[in-house]
Amino acid sequence: MDEQKKNAPRRGLSFVVGGEVSLRQDAWWWLVVAIAAIIGLLVILWPVPFRDIVLFARDGILVTILVTVASYVLIIIVGLLGGLGRISKNKLIFGISSLYVEVVRGIPLLVQLIAWYFVSPVIIQKLGLWLNSQALIEYRVNPVVTAIVAITVCYGAYMSEIVRSGIQSVPKGQMEAARSLGMTHFQAMRHVVLPQAFRVILPPMGNEFIALLKDSSLVSVVAVADLTRRGREFMAAHFNPIETWLMVALLYLIMTIVAARVVSYIEKRSKYERY
Amino acid sequence: MAEPIIQIKDVKKRFGRVEALRGVSLDVGEGEVIVVVGPSGSGKTTLLRCINRLEEYEEGTIIVDGMTLDNTSNINAIRCEVGMVFQSFNLFAHLTALQNLMLAQRTVRKRSREEAERIARALLAKVGIPEKSEAHPAQLSGGQQQRVAIARAMAMNPKIMLFDEPTSALDPEMIKEVLDVMTSLAKEGMTMVVVSHEMGFARAAADRVIFMDEGLIVEQATPHDFFENPKEERTHLFLSKILHL
Repeated sequence: MDEQKKNAPRRGLSFVVGGEVSLRQDAWWWLVVAIAAIIGLLVILWPVPFRDIVLFARDGILVTILVTVASYVLIIIVGLLGGLGRISKNKLIFGISSLYVEVVRGIPLLVQLIAWYFVSPVIIQKLGLWLNSQALIEYRVNPVVTAIVAITVCYGAYMSEIVRSGIQSVPKGQMEAARSLGMTHFQAMRHVVLPQAFRVILPPMGNEFIALLKDSSLVSVVAVADLTRRGREFMAAHFNPIETWLMVALLYLIMTIVAARVVSYIEKRSKYERY
Repeated sequence: MAEPIIQIKDVKKRFGRVEALRGVSLDVGEGEVIVVVGPSGSGKTTLLRCINRLEEYEEGTIIVDGMTLDNTSNINAIRCEVGMVFQSFNLFAHLTALQNLMLAQRTVRKRSREEAERIARALLAKVGIPEKSEAHPAQLSGGQQQRVAIARAMAMNPKIMLFDEPTSALDPEMIKEVLDVMTSLAKEGMTMVVVSHEMGFARAAADRVIFMDEGLIVEQATPHDFFENPKEERTHLFLSKILHL
């Protein structure tokens, strides 16, 4: 890290502190290389069907990544709001966020996805009739958007609990010290508590991302052409389940282990000595 | 003496069934150094925390620098004028010493980065650790952390400094370096309210020593009178225990 950067006061959620971590020091990257090599070999040695599967499913891979990344960004926002709500002294805000967390956590993601897909257009169209709005009456469900909303609502509840636990892990004295310097509650949260909470919750946040990447395969049941759905389509057309699902599994595997490496890299970069 | 800078009138505070403060009144003049002593659970820390409203109180009034604390809208304005030093330092663990001193200057006092850094470096030099500006709290000794914490409070240019047992969490050999900083602050005319068991500091730097027990002020006197000639029986008993007579 150069001297300039070191001296600059850190703001918001930026978190880079101290030691350099080289990618090459992380032995698990060899697993990534190994999986990539297996995929490469299969594609080169047996282009039929493996290269065909990859080519057929490549837009599915992009959809899987899109759904995962877009949901994750929204999940962080929902989780931050939900987590702050769960520690709020305002009874109404606390009550609403607690109810949200408890209800959503108790319903399987698959059920939530299907419910959003089939129920939300009916409600919107009914609303359109009631409001006499032609645009709403003609509403047709957009599978990708609906899937992202459903995943965000579901994972946002889990993320809320992660954020809550992170905030509560920061010693109370940190907030008191910030407030006693005249900072507002918001300033103290933003500059003192959240940056420290963020470091604590980085590992569970990383886990959530990887779990989300895998759970995104559930969107294939609500007409989203993700990697899983494209795999099913390929299998149906060519009747080769073993090769298809071997390749689909390998493609998921390489995405998840790359994500895991990135998470652990960020974790190491953001470590600092705690009391 | 002019109008007292802190006026505490008949303040009462309870934690559930426990009465922490049972009607405490105290005036602190500008530039005065007050050391509050007393057994644990006597309410001295609670009193201190009421002065910058880290604790709320049920009855009575506290007026700090002309501002009444009952009105919560001015609480941040009051806290700017009242520096607080904690037993457990409470330095911001994710920031360097320099950044600890700069954060509130930037966010609350709205000073420019250059000005905040200049003030921060000057204060770190004043508390004797200019070379530690880039260190994180965990890399500092307890005594160094507490000196950074004092400098952090000073960076806001407070009119009053509150110290809540500032040396209780320190190893014995680090107590002096912190007390030296506090003594020099007292000599510069800072108004200070110090909860402490450091009787040497009380003798050397205090204008008044206050003895609290069971949520009440039992006795207040000059350090000389307090230690040599305590009037109350309870003060006597307390002193005999802590001074190992």
